[in-house]
Amino acid sequence: MIHDAQMDYYGTRLATCSSDRSVKIFDVRNGGQILIADLRGHEGPVWQVAWAHPMYGNILASCSYDRKVIIWKEENGTWEKTYEYTGHDSSVNSVCWAPHDYGLLLACGSSDGAISLLSYSGEGQWEVKKINNAHTIGCNAVSWAPAVIPGSLVDQPSGQKPNYIKKFASGGCDNLVKLWKEEEDGQWKEDQKLEAHSDWVRDVAWAPSIGLPTSTIASCSQDGRVFIWTCDDASGNTWSPRLLHKFNDVVWHVSWSITANILAVSGGDNKAGGSRFDHERAALVFSPDVAS
Amino acid sequence: MIPGVNSKKRQMCFDWGPGEMLVCETLFKKKEKEEKMLGCPFIYIVRKDIDVYSRILRKLFNESHGIFVGLQRIEEESTGKSRKAQLVRVSKNYRSVIRACMEEMHQVAIAAQDPVSGRQYSSQVSILSAMELIWNLCEILFIEVAPAGPLLLHLLDWVRLHVCEMDALSADVLGSENPNKHENFWNLPGNTQTLTELELKWQHWHEECERHLQDGTFASNPHLESLCKIMLGDDSALLEQKELLSNWYHFLVTRLLYSHPTVKPIELHFYAQSSLDLFLGGDSSPEPLDNILMAAFEFDIHQVIKECSIALSNWWFVAHLTDLLDHCKLLHSHNLYFGSNMREFLLLEYASGLFAHHSLWQLGVDYFDHCPELGRVYLELHIERIPLNTEQKALKILRICERRQMTEQVRSICKILAMKAVCNNRLGSALSWSIRAKDAAFATLVSDRFLKDYCERGSFSDLDLIDNLGAAMMLSDRLTFLGKYREFHRLYGEKRFADAASLLLSLMTSQIAPRSFWMTLLTDALPLLEQKQVIFSAEQTYELMQCLEDLTIGRTESRDLEGQRLQDDDIETTKVEMLRLALARNLARAIVKEGTLEGS
Repeated sequence: MIHDAQMDYYGTRLATCSSDRSVKIFDVRNGGQILIADLRGHEGPVWQVAWAHPMYGNILASCSYDRKVIIWKEENGTWEKTYEYTGHDSSVNSVCWAPHDYGLLLACGSSDGAISLLSYSGEGQWEVKKINNAHTIGCNAVSWAPAVIPGSLVDQPSGQKPNYIKKFASGGCDNLVKLWKEEEDGQWKEDQKLEAHSDWVRDVAWAPSIGLPTSTIASCSQDGRVFIWTCDDASGNTWSPRLLHKFNDVVWHVSWSITANILAVSGGDNKAGGSRFDHERAALVFSPDVAS
Repeated sequence: MIPGVNSKKRQMCFDWGPGEMLVCETLFKKKEKEEKMLGCPFIYIVRKDIDVYSRILRKLFNESHGIFVGLQRIEEESTGKSRKAQLVRVSKNYRSVIRACMEEMHQVAIAAQDPVSGRQYSSQVSILSAMELIWNLCEILFIEVAPAGPLLLHLLDWVRLHVCEMDALSADVLGSENPNKHENFWNLPGNTQTLTELELKWQHWHEECERHLQDGTFASNPHLESLCKIMLGDDSALLEQKELLSNWYHFLVTRLLYSHPTVKPIELHFYAQSSLDLFLGGDSSPEPLDNILMAAFEFDIHQVIKECSIALSNWWFVAHLTDLLDHCKLLHSHNLYFGSNMREFLLLEYASGLFAHHSLWQLGVDYFDHCPELGRVYLELHIERIPLNTEQKALKILRICERRQMTEQVRSICKILAMKAVCNNRLGSALSWSIRAKDAAFATLVSDRFLKDYCERGSFSDLDLIDNLGAAMMLSDRLTFLGKYREFHRLYGEKRFADAASLLLSLMTSQIAPRSFWMTLLTDALPLLEQKQVIFSAEQTYELMQCLEDLTIGRTESRDLEGQRLQDDDIETTKVEMLRLALARNLARAIVKEGTLEGS
């Protein structure tokens, strides 16, 4: 059973992961399907895979029921395990790479309720920061906010890193969507608590930025609802939810297109759809583009 | 619909790729215990805009792109009549492109070997034909804005162009008693008569016809009688010849021709609706094409666009037509659904689709350029996702980004290329990309690789690049060192020993050289120390000795901690001894030299 399938940045490769504990990579150029790698290393079903930005090379992260997060890298044409994180006490459910501007930074959400942040510091070394008890019972999803370059867009002199305000969203078994922010001292703090769901939050997706002053997050839950949260950045910290749709069964997954104009939603009652999203009016029109 | 997927039995999972959507069957319940489930291992990749891949349609996209860009440039220049003429010309250009495409597709359909692809091509031909039909009508009604009188002429041309059977009807008319009057009336090349004159003429002719009918002139020939009735605009007589009329708009125009030739634009929709109703006669309901044409006859542009968007699988048609109509100032912004700009919305959708194609994406760039609100950000998001298969393509993309001051994208792309180059061991390429990306960290990494290569092979690769770094050298300390170290070798090669010596020393004293490289540098100093003439001054020699001591003290300490590494130790010790000896000798010679020369 395939649990996740992700295209790489260019749509030329496909990574899949499955209950057979494997992570497979295919070359899918020109409609083909050539198996490039069959990666073994997990000892349980693998739940999610995530491609890192190509400027760091060909890097893939995977997380599994076996409590491990493995980072794979392609060196000289072969894929190998480059790092393994075993710091969680329970199944790791979700992995998400941060915007490339922050370096190689991976967020992982686990059923032990914690979120870990793995950051590559060079020469094969990874630093770990952990947010314990992020969600009671468990964390099911993590999603990064797009990088917003603070201040002017003047060329920064080399070696100086602009001060990004790093943020990400998480969804958990406490029915909450939480927003996290990195403080100046490098510690992560809970920034917002978004309450609207009446059951476990299964997925969160922070929409890519198209330069408008609003931030948008989609969340879906066991309760069958999909909410769109918007925040008008001028005012700062008020997030308002809008119900996109209520399905008759659990909704497992939400995903934005790269220009954030369509949201893909998939649910347990076999209804799926693409919803056109108009940012300016924050008006939502749900039209099932893909028949069930 | 995706063939082969039984969605009732399986759950579907969706995700986005850069230009497509992934669908796979899965089971979502993440149970704590692993269960054996029969699963389908297939994943479907759903791409929008499959039309993009057809070779013939690509010509359509390419040529219409040229017309589009030309149209955007007309804007500033003209007004009034000349502008209208220009817009009509643009519209005709678009239509001729559609026709050309249709023709070619038709040829391929005929020549097709297997019936399945033959049918596919034929259906494409029908779609293109319908598009041209709609566009043509829109041109007449909205762009040409034909007033009463000439309107029918245009509509006649429109139907004639699309319905060959019309000719059969005309041929019948030629056999009647009034062919001259009939032809003379309608073949007016200059059409210098006013509407009233035309109307009078027609009235006169109409009355004459009626008289003939009433007089029973054609009583002996039922065909001629029927024809006369038709020419008098008798609907039922006309409908009796339904087989000759291929569709309701053919019927419409024929009706108008015989009963109301000077129809005004605002009256059109009334006749259109009744024609549709009469023709279909309750047997069938209107098709999408009928609804589109009806909306046009009602002069409801937004409805036309909306219906077309739904009916057609590709954004090409609505995007270009809407853009043209927008240039005619026909679109109102207040009652549109998606934001304030229908034109921009459609162009963004169309252009986004182009980016899925390995070469058509270049056309998409121009479309984004002409979308003032979101065009730029869409371009930024899409252009980063174009696979950088060849250096040529990468350079093309970079040029596009640089010309638009998209510095973030430039930087990101250069970094990606630098990484690719390193992975393929093309260090020179990697270095130039990191410099272009202003990526100090990566430049350091690549410089280290260069130095490592040098240590292993004894020579540098990509000398040209390193020699001509110029100001770029300052990007990172390691890069500066690489550049300066190479300079040292050049100076030595040119026998400029004093300069080489100073440079070598400064590399260590200024801390630019990494510690790990000091041994190599000191070893490089040996030939200078052993020259006949004294190169290093006494002071310089002292400094070199200091460096050596700094290095060896560190070594001793670490050796104590690490334990025994016999072989390495031997080589190291020998080297150090040799250096100490050479330095001591040089010091002696330097002191003597400096002592004996005056004022040195």
